[in-house]
Amino acid sequence: MRYRAAKTSVIAAVLCVPLLAQDFSQHRPPSVKMTDAGVTNVTRGKAGNVTLHFEVEHGYHVNSNTPTAEFLIPTSLKLTAPTDIVIGRITYPKGQEMSFEFAPDEKLSVYSGGFDIGVVVRPLVGVVAAKYAVRGQLKYQACDKAACYPPKQLPVDFGIQVLKNAPAAHKNPAQSPHIHR
Amino acid sequence: MKRDPVIILVVAMVVTIMLVFGLQMARKSSPDPSEAANKGMQGKAAPDFELKALDGKTVHLSDYRGKAVLLNFWATWCQPCKIEMPWFAELQKQYGPEGLQIVGIAVDEDASTQDLADFAGKLGVNYPILVGKESVEDLFGGVQFLPATLYINREGKIVDKVFGLKGRGEIEESIKKALEPARVAQVVNQTGK
Repeated sequence: MRYRAAKTSVIAAVLCVPLLAQDFSQHRPPSVKMTDAGVTNVTRGKAGNVTLHFEVEHGYHVNSNTPTAEFLIPTSLKLTAPTDIVIGRITYPKGQEMSFEFAPDEKLSVYSGGFDIGVVVRPLVGVVAAKYAVRGQLKYQACDKAACYPPKQLPVDFGIQVLKNAPAAHKNPAQSPHIHR
Repeated sequence: MKRDPVIILVVAMVVTIMLVFGLQMARKSSPDPSEAANKGMQGKAAPDFELKALDGKTVHLSDYRGKAVLLNFWATWCQPCKIEMPWFAELQKQYGPEGLQIVGIAVDEDASTQDLADFAGKLGVNYPILVGKESVEDLFGGVQFLPATLYINREGKIVDKVFGLKGRGEIEESIKKALEPARVAQVVNQTGK
C-alpha cells in the first residue's frame, strides 16, 4: 500500500512538472522559429518558388527587411546552395507599421507573429535529378515593448527535389471539335 | 496507515499550484527578472574597468571617483536607447554641476567608431561614449538586453541596475539616489530600526 502511495506521489509530481517548466520558461530570450519547409519539387532548368515560414514569439517583434529608422538591423536571409543550383530573388513581406510605448509617435516597420519569405531556386539544366539541401541563416534583431535583444542568427534549411522534367500534368484526351453521333 | 492516492494527487497539485502562484506574485512585485537577479549588485562596489572612448583616449571608471556615475549600455540597433539618450544629455546638463557624470558604453559588434559618433551626435549626446567589451559587461553581471543602466553613487557603490527603457521621472529619481548616498544611508538606517 505504501509503495502504491509513493508511486502515486511520484506520478503526481511528474504531472505537475510541466506547470513549473512553463512558468520558468517565460523569461527566456525571445525566439524566432522556422516552420519545417519540407521538400519542394523543382524541374531542372526552371525556376521554382519556396516559401519559408517564420514565427516570432508572442510579445516580441523583429525589424522588417526595410526598417524605417536608421541603424536598425533588417531581418535578412542568406542562403548557400549546392553547386549548379542558383538562388534567385528573395522576397520579404512588407513590414507592419507599428508604434510602441517607447516611441509612440514613431512608426516602425516590423514583423510580429508569423511571416513568410519567398525564395526562388533554379537548378541548372545539367544538374543531376536528386534531392538537395539548401542551408543558410536568418539574421534578426528582436525587441519587446521596452528593451532590445542582441542580433541573432537562426539556422535555416530546406530541401529541393530536382526533377528531370516537369511532373506530368493530367492531360485530357484529344477531342474532336465535332461531335459524331 | 491507508493513504488515498487521490488525496495525495490533490495535495501534490495544490502544492504545485501554490508554488507557481508564489513565483508569479514574486515576479509581479519585481516586474523584471533581470532586475531581480541584479538586486544582489546593489550596495556593492562598482568594479573598475578600462575602455577606449570614441576619441581614442583610455577611460577608467575610477577616473570619475567622487562623482555619481550613470553607466548606460546601449547600441545603435536599440530603438529604446534612442529615446533615453537625449534625456541623458539633458540630465547631464541639469545634474552635472551637482556631481553627476553620465557615461555611455556602446555594445555594437559591427558598428565603427564613426557610426557610434554619428549616432550619438544626432541624439545630442554631450557625455563620453566608450566602446564596450563583453568582459566589461560581465563585470556588471552581464547585459542580456538593452538599454541597461547602472547608477553608481559618489562612494563608488552600485545603487541600482535597471534593464529596459524607464520613464524619465524614474531615471531622475535614480540619479538623485546616486547623488545623495549619505541621505539614502540615513533613510535605510531609519527604516531598518
